[in-house]
Amino acid sequence: MTKANAPVIEMLTALADDELVIGHRDSEWTGYAPILEEDIAFSNIAQDEIGHSLVWYTLLERLLQRSPDAMAFERQWLDFRCCRFVAYPRGDFAYTVVRQYLFDEAEHVRLEALAQSSYGPIRDAAARIMKEEAYHLLHSEALVERLGDATDESRRRMHAATATAFPQSLGLFERLEHEDVLVRERVFPGNAKLQTAWIERIVATFGAVSITLPLDGSSKPLCLADYGGRAGDHTSDLEQLIADLHMVYQSVSGASW
Amino acid sequence: MSDTQWETYEVFHQAKRGDSHEHVGAVHAPDPQIALQMARDQFARRMACTSIWVVRSRDIAMTDYQDDVFFVHTTDKSYRDPKAFDAPDKLHE
Repeated sequence: MTKANAPVIEMLTALADDELVIGHRDSEWTGYAPILEEDIAFSNIAQDEIGHSLVWYTLLERLLQRSPDAMAFERQWLDFRCCRFVAYPRGDFAYTVVRQYLFDEAEHVRLEALAQSSYGPIRDAAARIMKEEAYHLLHSEALVERLGDATDESRRRMHAATATAFPQSLGLFERLEHEDVLVRERVFPGNAKLQTAWIERIVATFGAVSITLPLDGSSKPLCLADYGGRAGDHTSDLEQLIADLHMVYQSVSGASW
Repeated sequence: MSDTQWETYEVFHQAKRGDSHEHVGAVHAPDPQIALQMARDQFARRMACTSIWVVRSRDIAMTDYQDDVFFVHTTDKSYRDPKAFDAPDKLHE
């Protein structure tokens, strides 16, 4: 690893870890989702997200000489750089739907920007992942639109889930240590810009089901953002998640599957 | 207790353009748009697919298995069979 690569490594690690960790949380619904069809749909999304983490880990392998398996299964939990948001327990299905929707919209603006990146391999990977993400967004947005305005219980749960998830989800746009370099080198436009584009999109969807977000007149969040993940300052939820994720892999070290 | 399940939609799947849509099963969904998404995840995730139709199951008119007159043939109809000329093999497949 050369010093010049550190900013790209930092960004790719954040991207990959977000995907792996939310994919794992989504997979926890397999067998438990409210209806069979959604169980399969959500398991499918979980597999896609984990597949996307593999795309980013594969790019990292060239820079770090560390395999995707090693990145996913041999790192300590404090070495992960996912935001805290993706690691929180799955909660009820409303929280899961809102989290997935907020994540999918963030992915959308992130990938659109990365598809214009000055760094070729990132540009190509983003264009590939974007096609699959478009379906995730279609699905999670459809669920928000319907559950946000179906019954008293669904409205109550969706309002509560959004109130909890929104401040957490701002962590998706936590500033990276090397952000200035990445912006200057046009690897990506910077988290502040992405967050602004993201807020514009989610306000429209939530507004249609009368869910208001805590924003000021210029669409800046009024709540405290749940930062820390990008610097490795995680909650114990990630520790538990990584222990689950590593359990089988580490039970027989070096086994092939 | 009333049935809290969503309605079912019958799913028709087309593997490639020009093929017939074939009935492959049914999904529960609250409306046609979600039915299409559910059908995509249940039936088009692995199979090749170019198009899906969904139809609300209760919108399909159907015959009754108990109805013993609808399909019954009691007299010899063999004179109706096209036996007097050779059909190309393709038709027999």
